[in-house]
Amino acid sequence: MSGADADQIAAALPRRRLPRGPGNLRQGWRRLRRNRTGMLGLLLVVLVVVVAVLAPVIAPYAPNDQSAMLHFGAQAPPSGAHWFGTDRSGYDVLTRTLYGAPTALVVGLGAMLIASFIGVAVGGIAGYLGGAADELLMRGTEFFLVIPVFIVILAVVRLFGVVVIGTPLEGVPFLNLGAIIVLLGLFGWPPLARLARAEFLRLKQMEFVEAARCIGARPRDIIFRHILPNALPSLVVVAALGIGGAILAEAMISFLGFGDPKTVSWGQSLYFNYQVLKVAPWAVLAPGLAIFLTVLGFNLLADGLSDAFNPRLKQ
Amino acid sequence: MTPLLDVRGLAVQFPVRGSDVRAIDGVDFAVGRQETLGLVGESGSGKTLSSLAVLRLVPPPARIVAGSVGFEGNDLLRLDAARMGALRGRRIAMVFQNPAYSLNPILSVGAQLGEILGWHEKLPRRRAAERVADMLHLVGITDAVRRMRQFPHELSGGMKQRVCIARALLCHPALVLADEPTTNLDATIQAQILELLQELKQRLGSSMILVTHDMGVVARMADRIGVMYAGTVCETADAATIFRAPLHPYTRALLESMPRADRSYRGHRVLQVIPGRIPNLADPPPGCRFHPRCPEAGADCRRLRPLPLEVAPGHVVSCLRRGSDGVAE
Repeated sequence: MSGADADQIAAALPRRRLPRGPGNLRQGWRRLRRNRTGMLGLLLVVLVVVVAVLAPVIAPYAPNDQSAMLHFGAQAPPSGAHWFGTDRSGYDVLTRTLYGAPTALVVGLGAMLIASFIGVAVGGIAGYLGGAADELLMRGTEFFLVIPVFIVILAVVRLFGVVVIGTPLEGVPFLNLGAIIVLLGLFGWPPLARLARAEFLRLKQMEFVEAARCIGARPRDIIFRHILPNALPSLVVVAALGIGGAILAEAMISFLGFGDPKTVSWGQSLYFNYQVLKVAPWAVLAPGLAIFLTVLGFNLLADGLSDAFNPRLKQ
Repeated sequence: MTPLLDVRGLAVQFPVRGSDVRAIDGVDFAVGRQETLGLVGESGSGKTLSSLAVLRLVPPPARIVAGSVGFEGNDLLRLDAARMGALRGRRIAMVFQNPAYSLNPILSVGAQLGEILGWHEKLPRRRAAERVADMLHLVGITDAVRRMRQFPHELSGGMKQRVCIARALLCHPALVLADEPTTNLDATIQAQILELLQELKQRLGSSMILVTHDMGVVARMADRIGVMYAGTVCETADAATIFRAPLHPYTRALLESMPRADRSYRGHRVLQVIPGRIPNLADPPPGCRFHPRCPEAGADCRRLRPLPLEVAPGHVVSCLRRGSDGVAE
C-alpha cells in the first residue's frame, strides 16, 4: 500500500474525540461506549441527574403546593393542568416525582461516599498491612455484614427522631434524612472493604509497586499513587451498585413510614398513597416507576462498567 | 581501595510451616567502583533475593537475618528507614526483569519518571520534565517529549525496558541492580539493551550488579562474576578467570552445560548436564551444598561446610577439594 493510500484511508476514518485521561480509563470508556446496556444505564443516570438539577425549573408547581385541592381536589386523574394527576393530599404528582430525584441522588451518593471512605480505608489498610491487622479488620467487617441493617436503621431513625425533640438539633433541616444517609453509609461499607482489601492484596505484589519501592517511593506514594488509582475501576463498579442499593433502601425506609416527613421522596409518596392505590393508581405509579428506573440505571451502569474495566474481556 | 558495595555474610530467611528456611546463607560479594558484577546461577539459587536484600526490600515474609551491606561508608542493614528510602532510586537503583509489569499502567511515562525527581531532588515539575526528557533521550528514545505523554501500554517491550532503564538512571545512581534485564525481550532487542546498559554505565560512572542465568550475557558484560548455588556463593573471580580457569566443580559443570558454537555435538560428544536437581532449601544437604551432584565429592564434603578461600588475588572459591577449610555444621 502506498503512502498516499494510507493517508486517504486515515482521513476517511471517523475521528472520534476521546476523553483525555489515564490510559486505562480511556480504554474503559471506549469499551463502555460499545456496551449497549451500560450506555442505557448511563443514559438513565444522566437523565435522573438532569431532572434532579432542573427540578425547580421544570416542575409545574411548588413541591408543597396543595392548591389543587381548591379546583381539582385530591386524587384527580391526569389532566392538562396536572399531567400525572394529583395525589391523596392534593399534591401534583409530577412535581413531587421530579422533586424526588434530588433526594434520591443525595441519599445514594451521600451514603455511598461515606461507605466508600470507610470501606476503602478499612479494606486498604487490611490489604496493605496484611497479617494481624488484616485479620482483625476483616473479622470486624464480617461483624458489620451480619447485622440486620434494615431493622437497626429503622430503630435508630425512630429513636433519633424522638431523642432530638426539645434539643437545638430539632431545628436542623433534613436532620432525619441526614441520619438515614449516615446510617446507610455506616452499614454499607463491608462489600467495598472486602473488594478494596482484595485489590490492595493483589496490587501490592505487582512488579510496578515493587519497582516504585525500589526507586524510593514512600508508603504514601505507593498507596495513593500506585495502588489506589489501579484499584479504582473495580471499586467504582461496586460503588455504582451501592448507590442504587442505597436509593432503594431509603425508599423502603420511607415507605414504612420511617422517612423524613419534611422531604419529598419517592418512598414517602408511596407511603402516603398506597392506600388509594385502587382509586388513584397514578399517585403510586409515578414515584414507583421513578425508583425503578433510577435503580435500574445505576445497576446497568455498574454492569457496563464492570465489563468495560474487565481486562479479560478485551477484544 | 574499598569497594563501592561490600556484602558480607548475608542471610535471608523465610518462615515455612513453623521452621525457618534460609534462602540465602552467608553470601559474600563486593562490587568495585565502575565495575560490573555478574551474579549467575540456577533459578532459586538466591541471585535475585541477594540483590533485593541490598535494597533491603526482600519480599515479606522473608527477613534479612544476618550480614552487613557496606555502601558508601554505611551499613545499609543498619540504616534507619528514612535514610534507606532516600537512598533507593538515588544512589542505588534497580532495573527489573519484566518491563511490561514494572511500570504503573495508569501513569504516563513522564509522570512516573518525574515523580522520582520530585521525591529525591525536590525538583519542580518543569525542571523534572526536562531532566526526564534528557534521560529518555540518553536511553535512545527519540521524540522523548511525545513519549512522556504516552502510557506504558502504548510502548513496545524494548521501549518499556528503555524507560525502566531511564527510570533507574534518572538520579545518576552509583550502583545499578539489573535483575535479568533482557530475559523477557527478544534476541535482537536483548543485544541493544545490553549495549545500552554498558554504554550508560560507563558514561555515568556507575557500578552494576547484573543478575542472570545466561552465561553469554555475563561473558559479554561482567568484569567480575559470582557463581551462586543454593543460597551460597561458590566461586568469585574476574570474568576471564571464570571462563578460562574455573575452579569450583559447580562452575565447571555450569560452563560444560552451556552449548557452544565452536563445538560439535555430533558423535560421542554430548552436551553435559548437571545430574540431580537443586536441593530443597527447607532441607539442604549437610556439608557442601553441591556434594550430592558433585563429581569430585568425598566423604568430608558430606560433613564439612567449605569456607571461602582466596586462591589467587580476587579469586575466591569455596570447595574442600580446592583447599578450603571446612567447618562442621
